[in-house]
Amino acid sequence: MSDESKRREESAGLMEYSVENLVPFGPIHPALKEPEYFKLILEGEKIVQVIPRIGYVHRGLEKAAEQRPWMQNMYMFERTCGICSFVHSLCYGQAVEELTVFQVPRRAKFIRLIVAELERIHSHLLWVGLMGHWAGFETLFMWVWNDRELVLDIVEAISGNRVHKSMNTLCGVRRDMPEGMEDRIVERMKYIVDRAHYYREIIDTEETMLARTEKVGNKISQETAQKLCAVGPMARFVGLRQDVRLNDPYAAYDEVPFDLVTRTEGDVRSLLRLRLDELIVSANMISYAVKHLPDGPFRVRIPNIIPAGEHSSHCEAPRGEIFYYVKSNGGKIPDRVKSRQPTMANIPAALELLKGQNLADLPMVLTAIDPCFGCMDRMSFFDTESHRQWAWSGEQLRQYGIKHYFPDRISAAPALKIGEAH
Amino acid sequence: MSQVSMQQLQEYAADSNGKVSTPRKGEMFIEIDQAHIMGFISHVVNDLRIRLLSTITGLDLGQNFGIIYNFSHEDQKIQVKTTLPKNQPTTVSIVEIVPGAILYEMEIHDLFGITFTGNPWINLKLLLPDNWPADLPPPLLKSSKPAEIRKRLHLEVERKNE
Repeated sequence: MSDESKRREESAGLMEYSVENLVPFGPIHPALKEPEYFKLILEGEKIVQVIPRIGYVHRGLEKAAEQRPWMQNMYMFERTCGICSFVHSLCYGQAVEELTVFQVPRRAKFIRLIVAELERIHSHLLWVGLMGHWAGFETLFMWVWNDRELVLDIVEAISGNRVHKSMNTLCGVRRDMPEGMEDRIVERMKYIVDRAHYYREIIDTEETMLARTEKVGNKISQETAQKLCAVGPMARFVGLRQDVRLNDPYAAYDEVPFDLVTRTEGDVRSLLRLRLDELIVSANMISYAVKHLPDGPFRVRIPNIIPAGEHSSHCEAPRGEIFYYVKSNGGKIPDRVKSRQPTMANIPAALELLKGQNLADLPMVLTAIDPCFGCMDRMSFFDTESHRQWAWSGEQLRQYGIKHYFPDRISAAPALKIGEAH
Repeated sequence: MSQVSMQQLQEYAADSNGKVSTPRKGEMFIEIDQAHIMGFISHVVNDLRIRLLSTITGLDLGQNFGIIYNFSHEDQKIQVKTTLPKNQPTTVSIVEIVPGAILYEMEIHDLFGITFTGNPWINLKLLLPDNWPADLPPPLLKSSKPAEIRKRLHLEVERKNE
């Protein structure tokens, strides 16, 4: 007798607890900012297993990169993410720059650090706001996103854009820092630090936040986090000292002092605290970097042919380590570019975090990893009695809909292709 | 990374007939024969405690496929390279040693058509659409053309104003 049927027989009479229910979560769901699909297997109210299906907004950037010049790719990879856009172009840029003989000027390195840290503050603030939103604490959401605007104003003043900064170029940055910005940035950073302290007080005392975050999330050990290759805040919240800025400094991180924040509790609230603390550290780094900004050129012009070779680069994005691998044949276009986003690395750890949790906590725990996914049609059916499972394509679903509403029609007309006449 | 573990890494590589090259500071390429890959990665992860697998990169090298296991450890990037012939695109999965590799292997299976034996989720689709035709070559092969993919997936959009 198989394990499955044996277990079902043993638990006869307790049907509602013994039958594993499959709940499709996503791709379009109010609790998700972006389309992603998780197949949840539940026992009663508890999540037993989660199977991810990502790729709903996969745009084939790696393939597209093999047909575009080196410089254009930089701005294309910046479009990978609508929140942490700058760090993608920075990481790709660093991988390509290492293949050339040119050095990035010191002033450009500082400007890169300032923009990257501004981006981290705006990303973390966005995330804290969303956590407030999912916990049912809308006031926090409104407050935090209002403060985020202050950061975006500075980003706009420096780069001319709010989200896709288009600030980087190969071996430098495209714009110099505007004059007379120093005092304004330092003043705003001071304000952001004050606000972050206030938010920390809120998450430690406010009952809604405490109920929704404290001891929520399956506690994972350091060993598990290491095994599952978790990166960024997902590694630091169990006490691992893992940060590319510290371990393998890039840009000007070796010249700007900062403290690494780690926590050990391993629940959702510790992630909130960790990110708020990181935000304070970032704000202080920006103030320091603005005051110590060196003089000199901010870019070097390089030829558009990159020497043959292969190189990889990694950076610390707001969500964790981001990785780019670049291979050149010595031509105007790359032979291969591989990019790996931190959410991809954190999914196995997030699935572990979800195990044994209530279904109701799913939005909180999933949002806690700060997912940012990079689609097609699919509808999944699961017959709980016969355990049969099948999927319909969009066309089958369309036919079903037509038959349901117009039963007299013997067969529905075949779908029209775009551009095809009646 | 300490001198001792660097030396040990090179010794392990020599034991597995590997070629070590350090093109620039902080980066190390180790070429290993496909038969020894499991044993070598086991040494790297279990004995040297190099735990963070950043990603697995697939490459189309013409006659062969290339696979790079990109490890990050402190200020070192350790890239373990192996090749396998295109007519037999099957290799062993490292999920037992590095459980975090499960999605990276699924990704390579989708985009290059390489099968990793031992990965429990290898036949589930991760990135490609469900209606991806079985006879269409995987998208990241050099022989696969974007225009062909668009045509087969009915993604061509009529441009009226041209």
